[in-house]
This record gives sequence, C-alpha cells and structure tokens, in this order.
Amino acid sequence: MNCENCNKQPATVIITQESVGETAERHLCEKCAFQTQTFHFDLNQEPLSIQQFLSHWFGGADPFFTQQQTRENPLQGPECPSCGLTFQKFLDIGKFGCAACYEAFRDKLPHVLRKLHNGHSIHVGKIPVSFNELYAVKKKIEEIRIKMKDAVEAERFEEAAALRDEVNILKQSIAHGGEESHVD
Amino acid sequence: MSIEKFMRNAVTGWMASHGEHSDIVMSTRIRLARNLTGYHFPIVFTEKEAMAIDRAVSGVLLDSGQNGYSYLKMSDMPVLERQVFVEKHLISPQLTEPDRHGAVILSEDEMVSVMVNEEDHIRIQCIYPGLQFEEAYKQANLVDDYLEKSLPYAFDEDFGYLTSCPSNTGTGMRASVMMHLPALAITKQIDRIIPAISRLGMVVRGSYGEGSEASGNVFQVSNQTTLGKTEKEILVDLGNITARLIGHERKSREVLLAKSRIVLENRIFRSLGTIVYARLLPSGEAARCLSDVRLGIDLGIIKDIDMSILNELMIFMQPGFLQQFAGTELSEEERDIFRAKLFRERLDVETASSSTEKETEE
Repeated sequence: MNCENCNKQPATVIITQESVGETAERHLCEKCAFQTQTFHFDLNQEPLSIQQFLSHWFGGADPFFTQQQTRENPLQGPECPSCGLTFQKFLDIGKFGCAACYEAFRDKLPHVLRKLHNGHSIHVGKIPVSFNELYAVKKKIEEIRIKMKDAVEAERFEEAAALRDEVNILKQSIAHGGEESHVD
Repeated sequence: MSIEKFMRNAVTGWMASHGEHSDIVMSTRIRLARNLTGYHFPIVFTEKEAMAIDRAVSGVLLDSGQNGYSYLKMSDMPVLERQVFVEKHLISPQLTEPDRHGAVILSEDEMVSVMVNEEDHIRIQCIYPGLQFEEAYKQANLVDDYLEKSLPYAFDEDFGYLTSCPSNTGTGMRASVMMHLPALAITKQIDRIIPAISRLGMVVRGSYGEGSEASGNVFQVSNQTTLGKTEKEILVDLGNITARLIGHERKSREVLLAKSRIVLENRIFRSLGTIVYARLLPSGEAARCLSDVRLGIDLGIIKDIDMSILNELMIFMQPGFLQQFAGTELSEEERDIFRAKLFRERLDVETASSSTEKETEE
C-alpha cells in the first residue's frame, strides 16, 4: 500500500486520529508523516528523544483534524483514574504516571508499543513467581467451574455444592493478592 | 592522600581487566526496571510515597544480610561524591535530581547497585568486568527474585513489567557492553556499523548513554527493545552482535598492523609520550591518547604498562574524580593540570623502573 498523501512511497506509518465516536487511520510514508506534523527540532537534543518520538509520531496534530478535534473533543482520549494522566499527555511527555495508566490506555497501547519494540507489544519474558501463583489459582478456579457446570447438568448436586465450596476457598485465598495487583 | 591509596579506594569491581575478551570488552551491565503497585511512578509521586518506597526497598535488602549492602541517600551525599558515583557508573545522573528523593543500595564490591526512585521505583544494576552476560544477568535476576518475594511488583499479563517509560515496558531489561573499538574507529568502519546495528533492535552510543559522545573510542552497545523477546533471547542476540564486533575489531587491528605498522606505532608512542609528560591534559586529548596507548598494549607494541591502569584512568580523568583527588573544587584549567599530574604519577607508580620521569620533575 502506498502513502495516502504522496502516493509514491510505501506507507510505513499509521497515524490514528481520534474524534468523537470514531477513529480514522491514515497510512503514510515516513516523509509525509513527519511533514504533516508541526515539528520543531531542538538541535541540542539529538538524537530524537523518546518524548519527541512519541509526540511526533502519535501526538502531533494533523491539520485536517485539529479543528474538529479541539471543538468536539478537548480531552482527546482516555484519562487514568489514578494519576489523572490523559492519553494525549502521555504521548506528549512519553512517560506513564503510574501502573494504572497501562490499564486506562490498554486498547491504545499495543499500537504505540509496536512502534517502539520492532512490532512487538506482548511480553514473553520473565513472570514474577507471585504472579505465576495467582495465575495458577485463577486457572484452577476456571477448571473447577467447568466441572461444576457438568455436575449441575448431570444433576449431581452434592458434587456441585462441594465444588462450589472449593471455588469459594480458592477465591478467598487470592482476594488479597488480587487487590494488590491493581493500583488504588 | 597518596595516589596509590586514592586509587585503591576508588577502584571498583568492574574496572579490573578480567573476564572474557577483556582487551576489547571493558564491562558488561544488566539493568532491570521494576515498580511497586499502589504507588505513583516517581515522575508524579508525592514525597510521602517516595519515603514509603524507599523504606520498603531498603528494608528488604538491608535485612537480607547479603552482599554487604550499604544504603546511601542522595540528599545526604556531598555533590562531589555523587558526581564520582555517576562517573563510576554506580548511579545515573537522574537519580540525583532533588525532587526524586533518590537513594542507592550498593553491594560491598560495588558490582550490584539498586537505585531507588530513579525514573522507576527500583532499578537493579549489575556491572561485571569483561564480557559476562550470563553472570551479570544471573546476579541481577537473583536480586530481582529476592525483592519480589517481599514487594508487590507492578506486572501485567500482556505488557509484562510496567515501567514509567514505554521503551522499558516488558522485561524492563537493558543489557549493555562497553567496548573499546579503536581500529573500527580509525578505519571509519564504525560509521557504517552503527546504523546497521540499529536496524537489528540494538543501539550503539557513547559510554555515558543517550546523547553522549564516544570518548576514547569506547562505545556502549545495548538492546533497544524489551517486548516480544525473552531475557535470554535478548542476551543471545546482543551476545552475537558483540561477538561480531569483536571479530571485526580484531581483524581491523591485524590489517592496520600489516598495512601501516609504522604509522600506527608513531601514533601510539606519541600518545604515550603525551600522557606521560604532558603538563596540561584536556579530557578529550586524554581520552584519545588513552585509547591509543591501550591499543598499543593490546597489540604488544607497548609492553611495560598494565591494561587495568587504562580502565582506571578512563574513569579517574573525569571532573568529579579529579576534584575529589584534589580535595577541592577546580576550574577547567586547574583540572587539566591535575589530570596531567594524575596521569604522570599513576604511570610513574607502575613503571617505577623508568627514572626519566623523576628527573623531569623538579
């Protein structure tokens, strides 16, 4: 696919523009993507810092959309309930304010992360032991629930009741850990 | 204080010249970025949160009774001492920002340093001499496991370890090697290699990280991405790049030696002359000459100087160290004088047999 703007170079950059109730994607070549954004280089700050990178590639206003956006949607995207960071601000400063930001911006992040990490947005490395345990318990609860459903359908109500108790015990055991895995 | 004593106190674990390929790879560093749930990241946190994080992290490590940890609060350290820590790569300049309430927990051998309230709540850092990815990661991983047992980490099933900067999200790991690549620099091949490496998800830059110049032909090679690859895969990929750079560097040295030996020897001995006899030694010139002398030692052209001196002098020639050695603040010219003095004395201590130096001293 060629760049929507110049139609000469292959489109390598996707710019998502948000307006109320709809998102528009523009496929551009690198050159056009840079040029469509207002962009001042601080010569002292080369090479491109992460903030510059993010705000230029994702944050910069596009002339076609700016007016519409500022009029109809001044907030521009989600806001973190814990630290108050907006998605737009995140793009401007290039930093998250807290762990809850990740949850608040969850849908939009893969797009940003893929640009920074050679097309990847999913973690495949180390998992904390404590998290592993929590994950294992959650999985076990799922398994028991399926068994429970089978038991109910087969009208083995005593067995179902025993399974339900088992689930409740497991749920209690992760109640603390579960709370801790969310910020505030 | 005598120069020997000062040096003895100032030398740190990673400056020793051992470990594999230590003639080219000066040190290996692993850094893990971690955050705790329930607290805002340092960029927006309150002083109260900062204190709570500090207490939690330092409590766990100091109570562990491992590695002979000691705790140092940035606000309690004299400015000069903080600068020396930065120059030794034990802490980052960001940690010293006053509103961060930063602190560092340092192992006795200074090879493990845990920064508290830098850009993230926790930055575990291990520096080893030479090329030792596996050992450095193993150590960092142990510290990480230990902290995780007592502290609730911010972790997400999809995104991995949650960090303040999205460029660290995932493994939170930055692995890097500090490499001395004089032959690639002299032959200008490095200019072609740097962009090629960046296409592989790795970065090459000067020895003090982002934006810093490669002083003394010392380059830092590190992974750029932290998502989509396991820690092991990142280390293997970086190891492969490092091995290829070492190979290239060695080959270029051979070619230089075969094709222009006299020119190379001339350059190396002139530089040796400069650092042994100079009375004013600006840092740029000092770094350049040290690089040449080190190359001379590696190639067997200079025989009576130990390589570890150069590792040390590379660090000690910096403003913080010089001023600590002098015991007072110094202007730029005074620093150049002191740097020249430090180099003369250090090289004189080592090559005590050469009496020529003493004769020139009044």
